[in-house]
Amino acid sequence: MKIMRKALSASLLFALSTSIAQAEVPEEVTVGYLNLVNAQLVTKSLGLVQKEMPGVKINYIKVGGGGDMLRAIAGDQIDFGGLGNPPTAIGVTRDLPITGIMVLNMLDYVEAMAVRTSANIKKLEDLKGKTIAAPFGSTTHYLLLNALADEGIDPASMKIIDLRPNDIALAWSRGDIDAAWFWEPALGKVLNDDGNLFMTSGIMASRGYPTWDVGVVMDRFAEKYPDYVEKFVRAECKGIDYWLNNPADTAKIIAKELELSLEDATRMMKGTEMVPCPKQLTQQYIGETGKKGQFVDTLLSTATFLKDQKRLPKVPTRDTFETFLDASYLETITK
Amino acid sequence: MNNLAENKTTVLDKPTNAFLASLYPFMKKQIDNKRHLSVMTILFLFFAWWFVTFIGWANPLFLPSPSAVTQSFVDVAVDGYQGSTLLEHVGTSLYRILTAFFFACLVGIPLGILMGISHSFHQVFNPIIEFYRPLPPLGLYTLLVMWLGIGESSKLALLFLSGLPGIIIATIQAVSDINPNYVRAARSVGAKRWDLIREVYLPGAGPTILTGMRISLGFIYTVLVAAEIVAATAGIGWMIWDAAKFLLSDVVIMGLIVLGVTGMLLDLTLKLFGKIVMPWTAVRKM
Repeated sequence: MKIMRKALSASLLFALSTSIAQAEVPEEVTVGYLNLVNAQLVTKSLGLVQKEMPGVKINYIKVGGGGDMLRAIAGDQIDFGGLGNPPTAIGVTRDLPITGIMVLNMLDYVEAMAVRTSANIKKLEDLKGKTIAAPFGSTTHYLLLNALADEGIDPASMKIIDLRPNDIALAWSRGDIDAAWFWEPALGKVLNDDGNLFMTSGIMASRGYPTWDVGVVMDRFAEKYPDYVEKFVRAECKGIDYWLNNPADTAKIIAKELELSLEDATRMMKGTEMVPCPKQLTQQYIGETGKKGQFVDTLLSTATFLKDQKRLPKVPTRDTFETFLDASYLETITK
Repeated sequence: MNNLAENKTTVLDKPTNAFLASLYPFMKKQIDNKRHLSVMTILFLFFAWWFVTFIGWANPLFLPSPSAVTQSFVDVAVDGYQGSTLLEHVGTSLYRILTAFFFACLVGIPLGILMGISHSFHQVFNPIIEFYRPLPPLGLYTLLVMWLGIGESSKLALLFLSGLPGIIIATIQAVSDINPNYVRAARSVGAKRWDLIREVYLPGAGPTILTGMRISLGFIYTVLVAAEIVAATAGIGWMIWDAAKFLLSDVVIMGLIVLGVTGMLLDLTLKLFGKIVMPWTAVRKM
């Protein structure tokens, strides 16, 4: 009902704003983007959000990981953000005023566990007694604990420490850690320095632990400027299309944005999957209004896992996650 | 005012028995007739906290109720938070704080005395201290992690470095404030440099050095959370940081209260230490 009303008012406002004049125009829009490789870098670099919102000041804030993004949301410092499924489950359970509006990326080997080649780690069992780093609360921390649990290995048999991706690269170069599950671009530095890929997030996806990042909007913003949420989604969808249609140019953009070599950028791009916006409305992803897709299942199982880890006080109902995902913006622009 | 004067005369009357004199301020505790104001402040804050959460003015995500925070205290004390009980978290942090503080005193007090006595020493070490003192701890930390790694040593080094300047500067001040006549008097009866340090500088500078130690401990405390952000798995600062990541604000607030209370207790211990070791300063309002 609420969603219907939201969608209705959104389309109504949109109609009004195009026919008469701008209804409500935000002075500025702040986008918090995760420091990883996805089409948001293309959108940012090509200024696509700006093109959709002429006259509005667009601020981009780079955020290190999901934990920091949650803090930024709780502190009301951004209008749009991106979250992996564990931080999303945390945020929704803790009643943060956010709504999921689109899929930013599906994570394959752009997030992976690197192990030190000289440490001779061949199977998860070999990690016992070693020091492993992962940014706590992120997708990779979630996958690490799940991978260990699947093989019945006690996480307490090794030292798992909380480091941000850039700090992981630093600790790695000093030899303080033997393994780390984190993401590009920092991952690339480690792979060139006595590291090799041991396990990827893509492999875990095929084992039933998909990880992804979802674009979120602050509810306060969405209520006031529903047509600007649409503009934002449209811009990001254009970025995704650009990524899919112009891989060579995209690689140049990524290389420039992250100060990488073209070769590295190309490799990193292949490690993450962009989902064209119409496809995001299928059951494998967000689904459609009235019939939400598998993202709800992932969020539920993620929340259950975090509850078992005592990181969450409760597991919210399925309904809560269905309400959190709002397909109406995608539905409007892909029509 | 009356009470203070009375206090002063009594202590001056009994300077011969150091132990009794040191106990005296505690025996006279009841004369502090303004203490109830502090108690009222605390009660008022608790009441305001309870009231605001009770009538639902505050979003429980940002300000959980006192009962939720109490519950998290019990939970963490009994079941622990992510593998360590509250006592272990506090113990880990106290170990870091006290080790760093100990070394800050060990280096800072002698260095401060030397810098206070000798102008050349002052000129040699002053630029280093004046340069790094205003540096933000996190900026310094990045470098320390590069040099010393993500283990215990970089954390201790950061805490040590944040505690050091306060104590050095206070000690220099304390030594240079000593009435030169005391030094001349001691010299005239044949005191050597070491005698001067032991008999004149240390006792005379003691109270100010103690103030420096308290300031230094305070600085170390303020840097604790920053020091425990990188690669810690236990510690009260880490617990606060980690809980914030999972939006467990009840644990965050509980951790801050525990941090505040242990800080006050440590400070109180230092004051007590001062009163016992330096009974001649007992009348000083600290």
